[in-house]
Amino acid sequence: MALVSGPGRAGALPDELQLAVEAHVKYIQSLDTRRDELEYWLTEHLRLNGLYWGVTALHLLNRPDALPRTETIDFVLSCQAENGGFGAAPGHDAHLLSTVSGIQILAMVDGYEELEKRGKVVAFEGKEYKGKEVVGRYLSGLQNKETGTFAGDEWGEEDTRFLYAGLNGLNLLGLLDLVNVDLAVDYIVSCANFDGGYGVSPGAESHSGQIFTCLAALSIAKRIDTVDKDKLGQWLSERQVEQGGLNGRPEKLEDVCYSWWVASSMTMIGRLHWIDGKKLTEFILRCQDPVGGGFADRPGDMVDVFHTCFGVAGLSLLEFEGLEEVDAV
Amino acid sequence: MASHGVARPATIVPRTEQERIEEEREIKQYRELEDLIRSKIAERQYTVEVLELTSKLLKKNPEYYTIWNVRRRLLIYGLFSKPLDSSSHSTESQNISQTDIPTTSSAKPFSSSSISSEASSTTPQNPASQSHGKNGTTLDIIKADLDFLFPLMMKYPKCYWLWNYRLWLLQEGNQRLGAEFAQELWSRELILVGKMLVKDSRNFHGWGYRRTVVSQLESPKLNGKSMVEAEFEYTTKMIHGDKGLSNFSAWHRRSKLIPRLLDERHANDATRRKFLDDEFDLIISAMYTDSYPYAQSAWFYYQFLMTTLTDYIGHATITPNFTTLDRSEYVIRQLAILKDMLDGAEDCKWIYSALIEYTLALCQMEEREPDIDEKQDCKAWLAELRKLDPLRSGRWADLDNSLRK
Repeated sequence: MALVSGPGRAGALPDELQLAVEAHVKYIQSLDTRRDELEYWLTEHLRLNGLYWGVTALHLLNRPDALPRTETIDFVLSCQAENGGFGAAPGHDAHLLSTVSGIQILAMVDGYEELEKRGKVVAFEGKEYKGKEVVGRYLSGLQNKETGTFAGDEWGEEDTRFLYAGLNGLNLLGLLDLVNVDLAVDYIVSCANFDGGYGVSPGAESHSGQIFTCLAALSIAKRIDTVDKDKLGQWLSERQVEQGGLNGRPEKLEDVCYSWWVASSMTMIGRLHWIDGKKLTEFILRCQDPVGGGFADRPGDMVDVFHTCFGVAGLSLLEFEGLEEVDAV
Repeated sequence: MASHGVARPATIVPRTEQERIEEEREIKQYRELEDLIRSKIAERQYTVEVLELTSKLLKKNPEYYTIWNVRRRLLIYGLFSKPLDSSSHSTESQNISQTDIPTTSSAKPFSSSSISSEASSTTPQNPASQSHGKNGTTLDIIKADLDFLFPLMMKYPKCYWLWNYRLWLLQEGNQRLGAEFAQELWSRELILVGKMLVKDSRNFHGWGYRRTVVSQLESPKLNGKSMVEAEFEYTTKMIHGDKGLSNFSAWHRRSKLIPRLLDERHANDATRRKFLDDEFDLIISAMYTDSYPYAQSAWFYYQFLMTTLTDYIGHATITPNFTTLDRSEYVIRQLAILKDMLDGAEDCKWIYSALIEYTLALCQMEEREPDIDEKQDCKAWLAELRKLDPLRSGRWADLDNSLRK
């Protein structure tokens, strides 16, 4: 899946409020055929993540078979590195984010069996493992044993995004017991700010993307009880701007991807009804290109698969007709 | 990359034949460069020439994280003057398995267990690296690499990999250079991040980076001392800058610095009280004069100050020795100020919402139910909120329900 943006352009007509399912399916299908565009190659470092966004959007659009299953699995497995993690494309270094994308795709297309059969055999502490266990041990090796958070790869960048992605991947593999979940929860609690939100690390400004990752990690750990729901709900509800869309932080521009980060966060703390769902739906629909398919960050901008996934997921969360129901976590 | 804010003309003009050929040529060049780097690395050519090839590629595509990793390995195995004794990258890494990744310190890179393909087997010192055997060279290389990054960061200020690689370089400096040299490098970073935040005063990468730089400069290993006063001044400057009132990043940073600032000043109760008064004055007068009481950033900072009074257990506090009576008095005074503020700003939802929130908080602090007047006031303010802010009508409905209890 390529992240090549365009050629489509998000909805020109303000009253265009139909979801252009077929156009979106075709758009996603077309992404891997654009090898004659430079941007296809410049986005190779996000290929596996892009495939995840595409597959997710197709599943939510009720078109899970729109991409061929065998080729999808083959591509995912071809991204596995020698250390058991997955890179973004064959020959790219393993990274936690692409590894979790790989797991998510395999989970969606029912591909674990192939991973067991064809995944790399890797030794950890002198013992050989295969299949899911290998991927799980790659992920658990990235947890900081002292603080509980996760690094993105062996070079050590830490971020609450990685903490969530790590727990999510391990949870999908059924291997959550490989890491110290309680310590991870303590870390998230230490990231909480006076406004009820969370940042990338302790002391960092609240940010809707990080709030999503922290709430989702707490949901996986079954510790959403640690959240100040009213205070955070207030802060999140103020992300909705007049145009109906949501922004990521106070006094920033709205963006379709926050339809997911903010709205799913509000769902996890039972406060989704604190914003105007109808206006948000309309905003998301205005961001689609009804002809060429795909969603952009804002009406009139270039579409891409990232915003397509989170636009569709946002609509699904808002129970838009005809979409599969999405799990907020 | 996912495109943000990239507008597209109304009609899409197909590429001309000439443009298509040009793009094809660019693709070919790009992919050849990529292949060249990969083959050089497979041959373990950790040389300056290959480093330059990665520079060329990364200028075209700073998001290509694997190439940043290649660059790290080039430096570690070839170009830095000598391997580290403590966490040797080139000798100890060979047999370390994934689970041995040292996770003892969040600041320390995990580079001692690089187990990716290029690094996992023997990594002989390249002959070319011998010429870099002097101590000064590592410093020069790090400086040159930091200089290489700067224009890229100005161009792509939101690229995670750039910030991440830059920090890694500086951490390497900490491990490989004397404290004096490392300190000099980090000091330069404070200036750099200052420039980045002038360019975009809300860049959260920039603010996060600033916190890291400051904590490094304060650390004992760099013979540092506290910079909390200077940093607090910095937030004051940012708040008074262009659109400063709307700079929630600066307000947030300020909220985090205050408790430490007061501790380090050994502030007594009277000084703390004065400090709190001054902060209230700052935010209230900013709401009155700077623009208008509609900027939500200012209201979140106001919430922070109020939280130190109403919800202080487990949260930051400015006046820890306040009695319950002191706290009540302060909240009552603020409620009066808020009511005054309504005059001329009757359409400002933030004032109504604050009035309700802190009226209820006062009752809670005094462990009592709202009296009839308070209930009436809250209902009237809530009615205004529902009119002014229909987007959040669900929230106001919940608040209405809780007021009826």
